[in-house]
Amino acid sequence: MVEEAALTQLGVAHRVLVFLRFPSLFYSFFKFLDTTVRSWWLTSWLPSWCPTSQCKLKEAEERILQPIRSKFSKQFVHISNDNKLWTLVFSGSGERRTPLVLLHGFGGGVGLWALNLDVLSHQRPVYAFDLLGFGQSSRACFSTDAKEAEMQFVESIEEWRSKLGLESMVMLGHNLGGYLAAAYSLKYPSRVKHMILVEPWGLPERPAPGDQDRPIPVWIKALGALLSPFNPLAGLRLAGPLGPVLVQTLRPDFKKKFATIFNDDTVTEYIYHLNVQSPSGETAFKNMTIPYGWARRPMLRRIGLIHSDIPITVIYGSRSSIDGHSGNSVKEIRPNSCVEIITIRGAGHYVYADQPEDFNHRVLQILKTVS
Amino acid sequence: MLDLTAGWSISFAGCGFLGVYHIGVASCLLERAPHLVRGATRVYGASAGALTASVLTSHACLEKCCQDVMEVAKQARKRSLGPLHPTFNLVKILRSGLERDLPGDAHLRASGKLCVSLTRVSNGENMLVSDFTSKEELIQALICSCFIPVYCGLIPPSFRGVRYVDGGISDNLPQSELKNTITISPFSGESDICPRDNSSSFHELRLTNTSIQVNWGNAFRLSQALFPPEPKVLAEMCQSGYKDAYRFLKDNNLLRTECPTADLALKRDKPTCCCSGVKNSAIMESTQDWVLRICLLKEHHWWLDEQLVNNLPTSLKKVFCEACREKHALLSQITGLLPVRVASYVLLPCTLPMESAYSAVQRFVEWMPEVSADVRWLFEVAGSVYRYAWKGVSPHPRSGISMRRCISEPPTLDLQLPVMERKRPLPFSATDLRGYGWDSAGSSHESLGLRTFSPSLKHVCFITGSPNDYES
Repeated sequence: MVEEAALTQLGVAHRVLVFLRFPSLFYSFFKFLDTTVRSWWLTSWLPSWCPTSQCKLKEAEERILQPIRSKFSKQFVHISNDNKLWTLVFSGSGERRTPLVLLHGFGGGVGLWALNLDVLSHQRPVYAFDLLGFGQSSRACFSTDAKEAEMQFVESIEEWRSKLGLESMVMLGHNLGGYLAAAYSLKYPSRVKHMILVEPWGLPERPAPGDQDRPIPVWIKALGALLSPFNPLAGLRLAGPLGPVLVQTLRPDFKKKFATIFNDDTVTEYIYHLNVQSPSGETAFKNMTIPYGWARRPMLRRIGLIHSDIPITVIYGSRSSIDGHSGNSVKEIRPNSCVEIITIRGAGHYVYADQPEDFNHRVLQILKTVS
Repeated sequence: MLDLTAGWSISFAGCGFLGVYHIGVASCLLERAPHLVRGATRVYGASAGALTASVLTSHACLEKCCQDVMEVAKQARKRSLGPLHPTFNLVKILRSGLERDLPGDAHLRASGKLCVSLTRVSNGENMLVSDFTSKEELIQALICSCFIPVYCGLIPPSFRGVRYVDGGISDNLPQSELKNTITISPFSGESDICPRDNSSSFHELRLTNTSIQVNWGNAFRLSQALFPPEPKVLAEMCQSGYKDAYRFLKDNNLLRTECPTADLALKRDKPTCCCSGVKNSAIMESTQDWVLRICLLKEHHWWLDEQLVNNLPTSLKKVFCEACREKHALLSQITGLLPVRVASYVLLPCTLPMESAYSAVQRFVEWMPEVSADVRWLFEVAGSVYRYAWKGVSPHPRSGISMRRCISEPPTLDLQLPVMERKRPLPFSATDLRGYGWDSAGSSHESLGLRTFSPSLKHVCFITGSPNDYES
């Protein structure tokens, strides 16, 4: 359980709270409240608390994809369990070449690649899809177990691939997408020609608590324990009608990143609609993490097992808060295979939006080596 | 990798008392890569960042400034209400500190290189000021940049006849969009030099350009920005700045080549004592100190854990050492005792009015020379509010729209033109940002039907000419 895992590193105050079963009581109370409220007449009223709907997400996405000049098709790819994955297909040029598949990160969607799709699709087919439980794809029910949830993601990608009839692919994953690309390559190595991990989440182990520079005060620990049962974006849903304004105030940088193509709030609205709908992928992600934000099953433990024929490129933003040193660890773990690390100057976590020209240029360079 | 051929700038984020982090960073840059500071085209700063930037550009003594910061923090912690106590006058302390420590020709050295971020009161727009005709003017600009409304006072200070407040309100990390700006911030997030927390959370928020990762470490830091922690924590923060800067230099291969052996690990082993004078003075140590020392486990360096400062240059170490020693002196030990503290809070209703009255009189006396200007300004504000309320005509574009404009648009690229040759490509990724910026600047004002300045280059970027240009 989350509480037990957290117990090892937290202090006496937290231990007392856990001993009194405070977090789980708190959580069950919240669950109880949630289910009762939903079972009443409020069900019909509740969704309107947040000004969002599938329709609005679709509209927002259409707007964000408007500036793209290349021809592309949009479709749902149906996979097992009645799930469907929302997919963009750019198949205009170089049909014989291995297609590039883009996997977005946590809380993202296909629209965030708006600055890259045009350039990347010049030489080869490009596929971008919303991961299971994110964006316009089905908000499936995931297992609470980290391993099983990861497998569900991987299987959904595999089913998606076979449905589209792709023989092999170049996988480019950002953040959570990077983790899933690696997990996929572990299970289906023959399908992956090259793997590009952009600011991947979940590579390193959580550092031992002793490594911290400063002990965290008790009140902060208590607050952390109190909030740990909730989804990472629960606050956004709670904000209801204020949500869109909240995204605009807290993340004005997104608007700036996409300033070359939009000068209104298109991007922040899209991000709002992506993240405020029923949290399925988000819950799965939460179950795959341990506080705060570290992977429960770090990929560095397993990355050595990936077939050594698959070349790996890791792209980091120079300003990102994700530690770039795990790229070097990948290199050390895989001495006999090709591992390249690229740092893009002046970019943060969203490398492809912060410095789109540099990013596209580097990715095209990498792709030159792939048939 | 930082490309040094195209020129680079340094940008310090505003951060209140966490400014001590910047001092750590500055000391590392001066020690390990002085060429990076000397060769920078511009050094930007907002609020506390502007103070550090001014110290770097005017070649003032870093050690003295560190002393000042510790002194201000001490003053702020002295009273029961901390920095909110009426007798704590931040502006006054800052002004006297700057007058004392900046060299006489500071304005000459800083002009053209130092860029201070200011927020104009009338419309909330951001200004970057980079030329100063006298030392007083430089100090006034710095005071304006540090003036947090309400926290520092009610009437904003003026610079060349225009009222300004804290630059952090409109742009806390100037020019952070440029690829070749080295951004420095004491909050962990997406800056070049910033602390790395034990968290891989990618929730992040932006406060006027400063990226702040959502984690507990930053929550803790934010709580300390305006309410300074103990000297020990400040020392630790300074060292963290030093270490982070060192890591940045190392990752970018910017460490000065002439001393390749200079390594953190090596330096740690070197027995550099921060208080060489202490051993001699031990004999003269008062009995009170001795009693305390016995109480405190008889450690050699009992007032400050050596680990916290061992990477810092010796001169800075001394400063922190003294500050911590002072804190452990008998008097402060007694005032720190719980019953004494409780008593001071209980007596607050009696002492506060007295002290407030005294400080009010004192402030009024100091205010005397500026009364006429301030009162005139207040009348003007009242008049414009009146006009706005009755006729719905605003003399200036109101803050809401303009604020967003500052936050969300790319900065004016023309800043770079005087310093870079035009034939070189600008270090922007998106080259057409500039056109966009002007388009929307024009349209947002037109659509509101407001009479505004024409979006001329001179107006938005720098104060280059005489102050009269801006008053008209």
